[in-house]
Amino acid sequence: MDLLIRNLPFILQGLAMTLGLALATLFFATIISFLLGTLATLRFGWLRVLVKIYVELFRDIPLVVNIFFVFFVAPLFGLELSPFAAVTVGLSVWGSANGIEIVRGGFNAVPRHQWQSAAALGLKTWEIYLFITGPQALRAILPPFVGLLTLLVQATSLGALVGVNEFFKVGQIIVERTTMMEGWNPAFTVYAAVLLTYFVICSTLSWFGRWLERRLKSDRPQTRPEAISPAEPATQLP
Amino acid sequence: MEFDVAYLNAQWPALMRGLWLTVQVSALSIVLSILVGVLGAAARVLQVPVLGKLVVGYVEFIRNTPLLAQLFFIFYGLPGLGLRLSLFWSGVLCLTVWAGAYQIENVRGGLETVGKGLREAAFSLGLSPWRFFRLVAAPMAIRVGLPSMLNTSISLLKNSSYLQAIGLAELTYVAIDRISMDFRTIEMFAAICVIYLLLVLTLSFFASRLEYRLNAPFRL
Repeated sequence: MDLLIRNLPFILQGLAMTLGLALATLFFATIISFLLGTLATLRFGWLRVLVKIYVELFRDIPLVVNIFFVFFVAPLFGLELSPFAAVTVGLSVWGSANGIEIVRGGFNAVPRHQWQSAAALGLKTWEIYLFITGPQALRAILPPFVGLLTLLVQATSLGALVGVNEFFKVGQIIVERTTMMEGWNPAFTVYAAVLLTYFVICSTLSWFGRWLERRLKSDRPQTRPEAISPAEPATQLP
Repeated sequence: MEFDVAYLNAQWPALMRGLWLTVQVSALSIVLSILVGVLGAAARVLQVPVLGKLVVGYVEFIRNTPLLAQLFFIFYGLPGLGLRLSLFWSGVLCLTVWAGAYQIENVRGGLETVGKGLREAAFSLGLSPWRFFRLVAAPMAIRVGLPSMLNTSISLLKNSSYLQAIGLAELTYVAIDRISMDFRTIEMFAAICVIYLLLVLTLSFFASRLEYRLNAPFRL
């Protein structure tokens, strides 16, 4: 407890860093997901293949490797990335690989006749995306995206590996500092507290995601049977 | 900064040792996590009084906390309680606990497709509970649950790279270690990316084969 009070500013800094990292990643991942996700629903076979390769590549390479890769390889190409930037890039790429699948699934869940009717009314392709299928797809997309956000918050802890002072790293530093300066090891308490904090943040988010899902589903009873579950979100990659 | 094949050749034995450790840790954890999954799902489906609730809490907790924090808690935190595990077993425990939570959900998802009606029908035909389980419930549950169980297993394999953070000399650790000594960054990353990709793609290939085989009776 004493430890907590003494280190409070430091801890809050870490939390702010975690939050910043999560938001920055969410921002970029969302942009890439929507861009590539919608492109993959267009009728260009080769485009779909390219997106598919991107998705498979970054989902199949372990996230840890991915982040180290960005961190170590970017400087070789003359790109001096700060640890924060490196983690943002690594996580965004990974997050968008998962996000693309969600977006694509969301668009596929929109009944085809919506598209056909809009086309028959003479709307242009971008108009159909923006005004007709987009808003409908969004309902299927938003809840899994909240799930993705929880995963991103969890994944920001990997920033600790390359030296971003985010929440987890702060816990690590406190443990080391106390062990060295005061001669006792608070690892158990500190890491338990870290776990609990993440749990509170992420389960609140998960709960919000579930609420959103119920909310968005209730006033839409006429879905196609196969449209009920859009792309299986990647709920299990931390 | 050209690609040095000779260097990679020289480091190959070290990488293979790392890979072997990765495979060992992953294989052991996969088996154990499936065990956890079956037991946990049984506790939930059979609605064992206290245990069932505990399992729900366990699953929620694991899913909403970062694996890295779990790992550090197990490796650095648990000795505070007097439980000191070696690097290897800390890794196995961590991955098992993590993947176990997902496997519980996967197995439960499978078991839930076996409805009450089937059970009643089986019993009225005179099947014993064991034979009902063996002949009716298990085959159905496995067909439904297996794909997601294999997905979780593949995730586990990828996440074994987290263990480099505590210093277990698995594949990623070896690569990062060599990079910090020799600065042959591109070679090392190319090597481990290819190895991981091969592992994951091979596993997914076998997973989809298996799925295909299991679904054979339902194909027209």
